[in-house]
Amino acid sequence: MQFSGADRIRRLLTAAAGALLAALMALVLIVGFRLATRIRANVALLQRASLLQTYPSVLSQQLTALRERLGTLEYTGGVHQELADSVAGFDRNLAALERRPGVDRPVLRAAGHLWKAYAPVLAPVLAYSGEPYSDTDFGSSLSVSGKIYYTQVRRAELFAQSSAPALHRRLAALSAALQKRTSSAASRLRLLLSAGVLAVLLLGAAAAYLQLARSRGERAARAAEEQTRDILHTVREGLFLLDADYRIGTVWSQALTHLFGREDFAGLSFEELLRDKVSPATLATATKYIKLLWGERAHENLMKSINPLGQLEVMLDNGRGGKETHYLQFNFHRVLGQQGVKHVLCTVADITSNVMLARELHEAQESAHSQIDMMVSMLHSDPLQVGGFLDTAAAGLKHVNAILKEPARSHAEFSRKLTGLSRELHSIKGEASALNLMSIAQRVHHLEDMVEELKGKSELTGNDFLPVVLKLDELLAHLRAVREVILRLSTLKDGTSSPDGTLSSPILRLRGAERASGADELAATLQGLARKLAEDHGKPFNLSLEGLEAVPAAYLPTVKDCLIQMLRNAAVHGIEPDAVRRAGSKSATGLVRAQFRRLESGCELVFEDDGAGLSPETLKEAAVRKQLLTEEQAAELDNRSALALIFKPGFSTRTEVSMDAGRGTGMDVVAKAVYALGGRIGVSTHPGRFTRFKIALPAPSQTAVA
Amino acid sequence: MSSGTPLERRPVKLLIVDDSNIVRRRIERSQQFDDLQVVGTAANGFEALELARRTDPDLVTMDLTMPQMDGIECITQLVQLKPALRILVISALADKATAVEAMERGANGFLNKPFSDRQLNEAIAELMY
Repeated sequence: MQFSGADRIRRLLTAAAGALLAALMALVLIVGFRLATRIRANVALLQRASLLQTYPSVLSQQLTALRERLGTLEYTGGVHQELADSVAGFDRNLAALERRPGVDRPVLRAAGHLWKAYAPVLAPVLAYSGEPYSDTDFGSSLSVSGKIYYTQVRRAELFAQSSAPALHRRLAALSAALQKRTSSAASRLRLLLSAGVLAVLLLGAAAAYLQLARSRGERAARAAEEQTRDILHTVREGLFLLDADYRIGTVWSQALTHLFGREDFAGLSFEELLRDKVSPATLATATKYIKLLWGERAHENLMKSINPLGQLEVMLDNGRGGKETHYLQFNFHRVLGQQGVKHVLCTVADITSNVMLARELHEAQESAHSQIDMMVSMLHSDPLQVGGFLDTAAAGLKHVNAILKEPARSHAEFSRKLTGLSRELHSIKGEASALNLMSIAQRVHHLEDMVEELKGKSELTGNDFLPVVLKLDELLAHLRAVREVILRLSTLKDGTSSPDGTLSSPILRLRGAERASGADELAATLQGLARKLAEDHGKPFNLSLEGLEAVPAAYLPTVKDCLIQMLRNAAVHGIEPDAVRRAGSKSATGLVRAQFRRLESGCELVFEDDGAGLSPETLKEAAVRKQLLTEEQAAELDNRSALALIFKPGFSTRTEVSMDAGRGTGMDVVAKAVYALGGRIGVSTHPGRFTRFKIALPAPSQTAVA
Repeated sequence: MSSGTPLERRPVKLLIVDDSNIVRRRIERSQQFDDLQVVGTAANGFEALELARRTDPDLVTMDLTMPQMDGIECITQLVQLKPALRILVISALADKATAVEAMERGANGFLNKPFSDRQLNEAIAELMY
């Protein structure tokens, strides 16, 4: 709830009005009480005055009655006593009035004077105490004192009769004055009570207004609160305020719970929020950054541009018990108060999909670039080689397809399928990278990744192979596209051939001229691959090739496959990085040598590198890691058998997979190809000095392999 | 934003610190303010401190990666020497941690290399006017 200035003033005014009305009420009550007290006193006086007013006529009547009784000789004692009581009562009441305030003094004094005049005539009457009658035998008659008494009564009666009206007038005036006073006090009281009632009504109205205003304010506040809650529940960004101690305020949006997997945000420090989500270095930078936001040098734009949490990689729960990489974007806005920065408003958004999209876009661009590179490289490569490769690859992929279609039920059958796939794909990849057809090589590499992933699964079904089939289709489409490009390029070259018909481009040579010999083609392919491998792995080495022209045509594909594989192994495993070579006092440039010889008994291919050599121990460890051997079996293995491990399917010493090696398919392909020709393969090595493969093949005429 | 003291009357003295001659010339040529006066150029932190003592600049453009004394160290010392100095970091180091570090040591602005003339002038304007 917010209090604006106007609102505060209104509240103050209402409070002041209330206080005023309350004071007024108190005043009304006090004055009213006093008035009522006075009226009560006046009424008592009025009663007395009214009573007093009756006395003059009462006295006259009593004196008359006394006189008449004396005349008829009746008993006078009772009337005499009544008269005495009346006189005493008059004195008493008059004295009482004289003592009271608020009585009209002059009138009272005048009445007093008139009353005092009664005293001389009344005193002898009241003082009489003798026997007024004398009884004789002839009857009763007034005694002497009785006669005097009679005379005195008669005199008093006459005086009273003459004085009574005047006295009565005075006393009536006194009553009237008192009555007037009383009635004016009463009317004042009435007025006061009216004012009091009005004040009460006003007070009630003010209270009602105040209550109404408050409930309206509360309703508005409740509505505002509800809206805030709705916003905080619905907004997809995490929202919260940081205070000057870098702690989160009590209000935050529901999205935070989802983003950070916790509920206890109120009072949580920003550092605490990020601690287990980011690296210590990032955390330190973020903490410094937050501190800077409170400083005076923090311009909004500048701070935005150096925000270290603009794209933060964090691991979040995926809701299924696992973790997922997400990208969070933190934005900070300073909330300014009168004394500088009051809060920092922090918004957190999950921008994972944006980041992924940007990455895909980047990859798509990269791939477009690589396709252009591919076309350029094709322009420069020998189309004969590329054409040959495409044929081999198509055949290889057909084989892959055939493997995929083979029915399989048991795990062992699936495993066999996968091993077959790996071997075939690996060989295609090798040739593609030898020809520098990286777009193809990368696609095959992806396929290999998928196959590897399947190998890691404990249970396999036919459905698991679906993605592989799809990827394979994509690869075949790509191969068709490459073939198309080659065809177009050659057409283009045909159309622009020089008028005298000389053949200037490699493609024209391919089409018109005699084929380059297989040995030259093989040498070119191998040298190209060697250069590429040396460059990719940062290991400079020279490749020396001898006697390749002596390779019988029937052996050429096998020799080629074997040499490519062994060359890759030599570059990846054999030749050391030049720093290592120098430390071992070797020449910085490595040497890889391949020699083909025809012997009387058949042919011999020797392949050697002057690299690190093979370590039986390393080979054994790798075999155990790959679960090709148990540790016990490995311990019993002699050096010779350990070396033979490299010809086992699925063996590799590389822990990470690169384009050139590490999948564990390689030497088993070589060995298999050699055995298929009826040959043998052997390996010898010296740690730190060389690795040498010797392949013996039978004389070509003795075999039926083409 | 305006700085604490009115600078309209007096020319703003600029010191350019960068180990690359090309960048130094580029900054000198690209700034488009009539009342900005380049009082010196330095190729490393030591030169920058020496020149700052002699020429009393208002604004320094500061490279971060320099031989002998790097930008971060130089900023620290410059701020001690002359607290009112405004420092615009112009660096190829794009990581936010470096920027935050520079700001924490006392830099006032940050501009990434490569920069356009407009970006440079806007950054200077934001700091000085």
